[in-house]
Amino acid sequence: MDSVVITITSGKGGVGKTTTTANIGTALALLGKKVVIADADIGLRNLDIVLGLENRIVYDSVDFIEGRCKLRQALIRDKRAGELYLLPAAQTRDKTAIKPQQMVDMINELRDEFHYILIDSPAGIEQGFQTAIAPADRVIVIINPEVSSVRDADRVIGLVEAHQKGPAMLIVNRIDSARVKKKDMLSVEDITEILSSQVIGIVPEDEEILSSTNRGQPVVLNSKGSAAQAYRDIARRIVGESVPLTMPSTGSFWQKLFGRA
Amino acid sequence: MSSFRELLFGKKSAEDAKSRLQFVLIHDRAEISPGLFEEIRNDIIMAISNRLNIDPSYISINMDEESGERRLLVDVPLKNSRRPTATRSTNN
Repeated sequence: MDSVVITITSGKGGVGKTTTTANIGTALALLGKKVVIADADIGLRNLDIVLGLENRIVYDSVDFIEGRCKLRQALIRDKRAGELYLLPAAQTRDKTAIKPQQMVDMINELRDEFHYILIDSPAGIEQGFQTAIAPADRVIVIINPEVSSVRDADRVIGLVEAHQKGPAMLIVNRIDSARVKKKDMLSVEDITEILSSQVIGIVPEDEEILSSTNRGQPVVLNSKGSAAQAYRDIARRIVGESVPLTMPSTGSFWQKLFGRA
Repeated sequence: MSSFRELLFGKKSAEDAKSRLQFVLIHDRAEISPGLFEEIRNDIIMAISNRLNIDPSYISINMDEESGERRLLVDVPLKNSRRPTATRSTNN
């Protein structure tokens, strides 16, 4: 099978990597793709709880690496979204438990069976990040429209290129179009100009994200809200559909921006 | 359009964010910290003033980046060169 491995990272923590990974993975599965979302944040796993699968974990990726289970046994199927599987991280270990080459070998084992394998990277640029990007065919960097996130993203984009995994693509997360309009928040255009990278998604700040995370139900499963729509659009762009890049709840200016990117 | 607003309410915070990021990223990417940059600046001033009569307060040394190419721009007006003194009069 022609599989694509996408690592989702950011440098800075708390910008929405895990929520984004959960929603894009779910959206890809809802498009009929066979998808694994792998948590690479060993010791601080959260994909399981964001997806509402925390009670179903028996084995994790470290159990597989250390020979206690088959890879298939560590995968948890999320029946709400067709062929969606979670590969959980170990919670009681640290980032040294999986070496970059072990990660590559483990992910390669999944390539035959799945269309998309998404890897949720830990924050930072240390070993956990290096391990998470080692198997990647593509890297997505999540950014919030604020200075510390953009600066860290620039560093990560440079490292992604140094590892020959570039060019990284950007998702601008938690943007507030009203504040952008008042020039009180960096715009997507500002961010692409500063970082000179391509944007593949713009996700608005949306109250629904917190309540859906509280319930363990990714918004793409059943919401018509603007964040849910943004995640679905990103999934469609990933599978190769041409979906205009629109600023949530504003007009065609953003489509022009996409044409330029 | 926003210039009138700017006069009334000052510069918008997003513009500050953008210009500050552009400055800091030039230094980050070149791996030259503002502190090291200041030392380089002092070295350049010292090297030139050993040989030429210059006024260090006129020297401008900047990092610049255009389409991925970084450069150090050094502008050293020589004293008694009849250079307009506009900068000095606005500074004072």
